[in-house]
Amino acid sequence: MNTAPSHVAVASIRGTGTGATRVLGAISLALLVWLVVSALFLTPADVVQGDSVRIMYVHVPAAWVAYLAFITTAVASGCSLVRRHRTLGFDRVAGASAEVGVLFMGMALVTGSLWGRLTWGTFWQWDPRLTTTLFLFITYVGYLAVRQVDVDPQQRARRSAVIALLAVLEIPLVHFSVVLWRSLHQEASVLNADGDVRLDDLMLFTLFSGVVAFTLVFAWLVIHRQRLTALADTERVIGLDSAIAVRRAEVAR
Amino acid sequence: MLPIAVAVLASVVGLAIVAVFLTSSIDYYCNVDEIGVRDGCDDARRVRVQGAVDEGSLQSRGGITTFVMSFNGVSLPVDYEGEPGGVFQECIPVVAHGRIVDGVLVATRIEVKHSNEYEAENADRLAQAEKSACS
Repeated sequence: MNTAPSHVAVASIRGTGTGATRVLGAISLALLVWLVVSALFLTPADVVQGDSVRIMYVHVPAAWVAYLAFITTAVASGCSLVRRHRTLGFDRVAGASAEVGVLFMGMALVTGSLWGRLTWGTFWQWDPRLTTTLFLFITYVGYLAVRQVDVDPQQRARRSAVIALLAVLEIPLVHFSVVLWRSLHQEASVLNADGDVRLDDLMLFTLFSGVVAFTLVFAWLVIHRQRLTALADTERVIGLDSAIAVRRAEVAR
Repeated sequence: MLPIAVAVLASVVGLAIVAVFLTSSIDYYCNVDEIGVRDGCDDARRVRVQGAVDEGSLQSRGGITTFVMSFNGVSLPVDYEGEPGGVFQECIPVVAHGRIVDGVLVATRIEVKHSNEYEAENADRLAQAEKSACS
């Protein structure tokens, strides 16, 4: 059930940030600055691709964080089904993570398309990796659409949890599509089947920095987003009248 | 009812993408040595063929690019109207789309199939890459 905070508690909330999130945000920002400097100025151009290789430092972290986000959504959804007394809390994390995941997946699709034009000579082809990735993206857009349907929050949580647990099954299909089928998209350069790393040192370090930076940004966004959703849910429970009363009390103080 | 309808619609759209596009390209290409040999690599139909561009075979004349692509010791001449995009060059693997006419692949699209290796560009590496490009 909903555990709405008191009016006083709501009135005292001035944002979704805390000391911890501000530190997280600052570290994320610092890492992003390092990523931009390293990706654009410090890392070398690739012997075949030239400067277009720099797109990889955004594309790969974005795709990995999208996977992470969708897995987080599935885990939170599973918890929301199992831990019934905290259903809505887990559901909010699931929804927030999926929203951020869709953002990063979109970023991976756009940057991949730009890289494809420069390297393959085409923005898009219906090869196994690109097609399954688009399918994954559309699935989670559908998941977010289902979450927007105006029903009882408990019902919303159950429905979206079932979809999230089904949708996450697509991730292995997307990731291994380049191994299972012949694809225009290359196989993984890191964490591939034979365990080799096929990147120069600074390129690898910059890629790793990108993954860490994007992961922290993901955590920061999800924390804020789920707190915002909690506030929106609380506002809905308390109702407009109570909100006005809180505001009047605040003004009179 | 509406959420279920949305879920069904999303599934139908997803399955339609798989059915219409993925089926025709689960294996995105045939290798040169599989033309006329492997199922789905019939030389009488439109094909996508993968092979490396042979060293010294690339020519461009009158807006037509010609080259020979090879895989596993089997070669196939290719004619393409225009300049291939991307990082097209000799010794690089490419996927050519088209029909085989009199033993020549008349391509309507050329895509470069980049490997999963990334190496820093510097003078030594460029020289090394040029020397060993087709080895």
